[in-house]
Amino acid sequence: MNEHAQTASATDISGAVMVVGGGVAGVQTSLDLTELGYKVYLVEKSGAIGGVMARLDKTFPTNDCSLCILAPKLVEVGRDPNIEILTLAKLEGLSGEPGKFTARVRKQPRYIDEEICTGCGQCTLYCLKQIGNDFNENLEINHVAHIDYAQAVPTSYHIDAKACLRLNYDTCGLCAVVCQAGAIRFDDKEVTLEIPVGAVILAPGFGRVSDEVMSKYGLGRFQDVITAFEHERLMCASGPTGGEILRISDKKHPKKIAFMQCIGSRDETCSNNYCSSVCCMYAIKQATLAREHDPDCEITLFFIDVRTHGKGFDAARERATSANNFRIIYARPPQVEDVFDGGLLMTWATEDGRHHYEKFDLVVLSQGLEAPDDAQSIAQAIGIDLNEYLFAQTDNYTPLATSRPGVYVIGAFQGPKDIPDSVTQAAGAAALCAAQLAPARSSETIKASFPEERDISQEEPRVGVFVCHCGINIGGVVNVPRVAEYAKTLPNVAYASENLYSCSQDAQKVLVETIHEHKLNRLVVAACTPRTHEPLFQATMREAGLNRSLFEMANIRDQCSWVHIHEPEAATDKAKDAVRMAVAKACHLTSLTEQQLPVTPSALVVGGGLAGITAALAIADQGFAVTMVERGKTLGGKALLLSADRYGNDPRQAVQKLVNTTNKHPKITIHTEAEVAAVSGYVGNFTTTVEGKKGSKIINHGIIVLATGGRPYEPKQYHYQESAKVLTQLDLEKRLATNLPLPKSTRQVVMIQCVGSRGDDLSYCSRVCCGQALKNGIRLKECRPDLQIMVLYRDMRAYGFLEDDYRKARQLGIIFNRYHVDNKPEVTLGKGKSSPLHVKYYDILLGETVELATDMLVLSVGIVPEDPTSLAKMLKVPVTAEKFFLEAHVKLQPVDLPVDGTFVCGLAHSPKSMDETIAQAQAAAGRACQPLAKGFVTPVPIVSQVDPELCIGCAACETFCPYKAIRIYKEGKKRKARTITASCKGCGVCAARCPTMAIDMGRFTMDGIMAQIHAFGAGIAN
Amino acid sequence: MSEYSPKILGFLCNWCCYTAADSAGVGRYQYPPNMRVIRLMCTGRLDPSFPLEGLATGADGIFVGGCHPGECHYIDGNYHALISASLVHETLDRLGINKERFLIDWASAAEGPNFVKIITSFTQRVAELGPLGSAEGLDQEEMRIKLTAAAETARGRKIRTGLINAGKEMLKGGDFSRETIAGLVATKCDKALTALVG
Repeated sequence: MNEHAQTASATDISGAVMVVGGGVAGVQTSLDLTELGYKVYLVEKSGAIGGVMARLDKTFPTNDCSLCILAPKLVEVGRDPNIEILTLAKLEGLSGEPGKFTARVRKQPRYIDEEICTGCGQCTLYCLKQIGNDFNENLEINHVAHIDYAQAVPTSYHIDAKACLRLNYDTCGLCAVVCQAGAIRFDDKEVTLEIPVGAVILAPGFGRVSDEVMSKYGLGRFQDVITAFEHERLMCASGPTGGEILRISDKKHPKKIAFMQCIGSRDETCSNNYCSSVCCMYAIKQATLAREHDPDCEITLFFIDVRTHGKGFDAARERATSANNFRIIYARPPQVEDVFDGGLLMTWATEDGRHHYEKFDLVVLSQGLEAPDDAQSIAQAIGIDLNEYLFAQTDNYTPLATSRPGVYVIGAFQGPKDIPDSVTQAAGAAALCAAQLAPARSSETIKASFPEERDISQEEPRVGVFVCHCGINIGGVVNVPRVAEYAKTLPNVAYASENLYSCSQDAQKVLVETIHEHKLNRLVVAACTPRTHEPLFQATMREAGLNRSLFEMANIRDQCSWVHIHEPEAATDKAKDAVRMAVAKACHLTSLTEQQLPVTPSALVVGGGLAGITAALAIADQGFAVTMVERGKTLGGKALLLSADRYGNDPRQAVQKLVNTTNKHPKITIHTEAEVAAVSGYVGNFTTTVEGKKGSKIINHGIIVLATGGRPYEPKQYHYQESAKVLTQLDLEKRLATNLPLPKSTRQVVMIQCVGSRGDDLSYCSRVCCGQALKNGIRLKECRPDLQIMVLYRDMRAYGFLEDDYRKARQLGIIFNRYHVDNKPEVTLGKGKSSPLHVKYYDILLGETVELATDMLVLSVGIVPEDPTSLAKMLKVPVTAEKFFLEAHVKLQPVDLPVDGTFVCGLAHSPKSMDETIAQAQAAAGRACQPLAKGFVTPVPIVSQVDPELCIGCAACETFCPYKAIRIYKEGKKRKARTITASCKGCGVCAARCPTMAIDMGRFTMDGIMAQIHAFGAGIAN
Repeated sequence: MSEYSPKILGFLCNWCCYTAADSAGVGRYQYPPNMRVIRLMCTGRLDPSFPLEGLATGADGIFVGGCHPGECHYIDGNYHALISASLVHETLDRLGINKERFLIDWASAAEGPNFVKIITSFTQRVAELGPLGSAEGLDQEEMRIKLTAAAETARGRKIRTGLINAGKEMLKGGDFSRETIAGLVATKCDKALTALVG
């Protein structure tokens, strides 16, 4: 059924990419790559993809269930014909050059055939040998024949060779006896594969801080000192305690929990002088959930600094802290001790120099992120440079490129980071690969092709019902033969039978044959859940020449046999009802046309700053035309206001180079001094009016990237613009670029952080100001070592490797003093122009307010987004209260806006540094090019349809549609509603509200649901 | 009476409650086998006539399960479901049927155990109420006829216009609490409901 879309490309460049690591970053980049037209080899060292995110209970800041949002992506990867997952595999060598690499991959045996295993779990049930359950942090046991976790992809079990009785002692072998599918392969062998690929993306994730470091804090010595990863599993409903936070020692609920931050981070004694960037957030999340688990529990968090610098993070932290009554202590307890009568004793010194001690029931160590354990062997095998902390070395202006051309790095291996940043980098690296391999696009991907669909519109319903045993999963409880017999008695059922495994490859063949043989035109499979298996059976229907909308599932496993294990009679009745209702609905299913809407293969980028030009280049390099609209006279934006990066390079040169490339790029058309005046259309088919000095121009394009940027906050505080001695960091940057940045007489400089930010005027943290203050402080010290510098700050948010700058600044003698938001520094001007300023602040160590005369005051001001209101209105995309564009999903769709075909990057999304801006702009380009590369968009055919005969044009649907996907148009003098199929997501609110029942939903029709309801009632009548 | 087992019809949204129900299965959480499920993409699809039709056709209780407020996969579909639900409650009230026979509640995709808790207690509650009409002291046949008529009315233009107006005010007011929404629906649909049941 599959064929090569294109037999061979004109070049010898490979159209395949190897992705190393199957965590969320690797999974996302794989999906992005196949959407862009590239084949992917996904190399995963463990038995299943999913990585750390699969192990998390919830995710900060929304407390969304982690696995629930990840699992659909995993299934998608598992199903994608263009992604080959290589589990238990390792990339061991890379030869050749970009575009023409040969990757050597060593793959360990699974001992269970992935293709045949049905995931029934019988092998685990009978496996005699137990091992620790790594997925649950070894807090419970698993069996040697196992699946890593319930939702694992591939949905196939595997055998741990190190502990298997059969493999090591030639005994047991029970699994092979009980496996009804015959999937056990004790003779499975290790293989080495040589795979030609054009590029490599490294996403191996992170390593853990060693137990040795953590033993200082009692881990391993005291049972009730646990790591955050263990705590995460304890909180999780699928964890070892079924979602109860219990102390390991006595299985009791802890009443006093302490979270200790920076374990193995910001700690030179373990050579990790960097900030892990995620622990503050996950600790707050875990504390919040601990509170949910036990409303009476006392929760204390120990921070050095609270680094919640991400978009919306500060607000989420504040909400969590006040709503849950957390005690926040600024201190780093040096150790944990146990005491005679139980409990864990912690001692600490607060910033005022006082000592404290207290007992806790449970101590959670917020364990930092390290480079992956095998970082050095990866680097050696592939030939890339690492930084001093063994993370991949990258450059500020090419943040996703390793030192070896054609090899990219994303996720935590690029530097410690959270899920949204990892997902962003994933999309960015996909864009870079797509550009590098553009000539080979679609050369190695296959396209599923199916026979022509049979027109069934004139046929009476002939429903085929297949009732699945699912091994013993269903058959062990539900009387499957009886259900199948019952199905035969239902109206319109032309055929009914049982399957052992409906989802197995051979069952698909039988389904196709049966559909042909019995001339079936509707299919009902009574088995597991449509959420995971509907696409599989729908593909089978297409193979049999039936439209995929003619399919319905009855869930008799997840929602029947598994939940009524002890009530076989009742479960069988329920299964019969489910089948009857599914058949009733099936009779009302109709073939739905899958609309393929053409796409204008070009992009519009709004904004010509660093984000805009990076996005434009990343799109144009993939071969698509780009129109760029910039309000100013020239490109480059606010990045040109910076005179040095933290490595001492001049960003203006790097940005100017990008500007020049953009100006010369044959695929990019630039409109400067121009603005977007109007936008209409939808993904694939936007029409935009650009108003410029030279008049207006209409542009047709398929997607739109918003990179409208931001600007520095203009301070009204601290006598700015009243005295030449008061500067902003950007003013200082300008001076630092001159020969004489400071008058010789300058002795003292004071910097004040968070001017305008974090509730001062802007509610949010501007993320970059701490780093900028550190950088400029160091620059000042380097040109004038005798200079006294005092930084007044709230939390030094020197996340990631910026911590190095923080340490360096202190080593150079810069003094840092924390101020409290309720007790901000006060500044008074001197009498004369040349007399110093006076800064009054509360000195933490002295414990009193002191006054400092200073020759210069530097304000670290925040970042304000450019007003997004008019664009947001035109495109119907949401903005946050702070006027940043609001992405579709804060975790997993960080650059997509909720309206299909619209994307955001740069400061318009949130404050961020240059390297982060570049990665995000590349990500926007990667996501945006997906419909362009495909050439068409196919909305899922569950969309609404309006019957114009019945429609009275009341516009209620237009008012209520969350996606503006239904609009009123004029037909002569009458107003009628019409669905914009490409925008409709099928929620059905319009149908539920339509006063004349003029709107119906694909597959979820009024008639179909009514038939289900009546079929439900029919069972009662019997 | 000990033989009595309530008949419950459930409408679950694909993204949260249906997923929660699946995950309850994966975790092998056990709950009473009384409910039959109709999957919807979103509870926003819930036509106000569906629950009434369900009761008319033989259910003793109706459950609607969606995403937690503010977490709807389709932004605000569950708030619109509350509009439909309010009408159902109001109608039941006026027909003299115990409002507890209709429950709308939330369980996120992650909350298999919570889903189980909700269904278990709802099943118990409906069991206590007994067959439709018994707790109310009404004739079941007569009730079902009235419910069929109510379902028909809920598909009619008058009531639906009331719901549209309630929905618009809900969005304008920004208060998505059940009480407020119920109040809006009661006011906006009062006339139409009075015409139906008095």
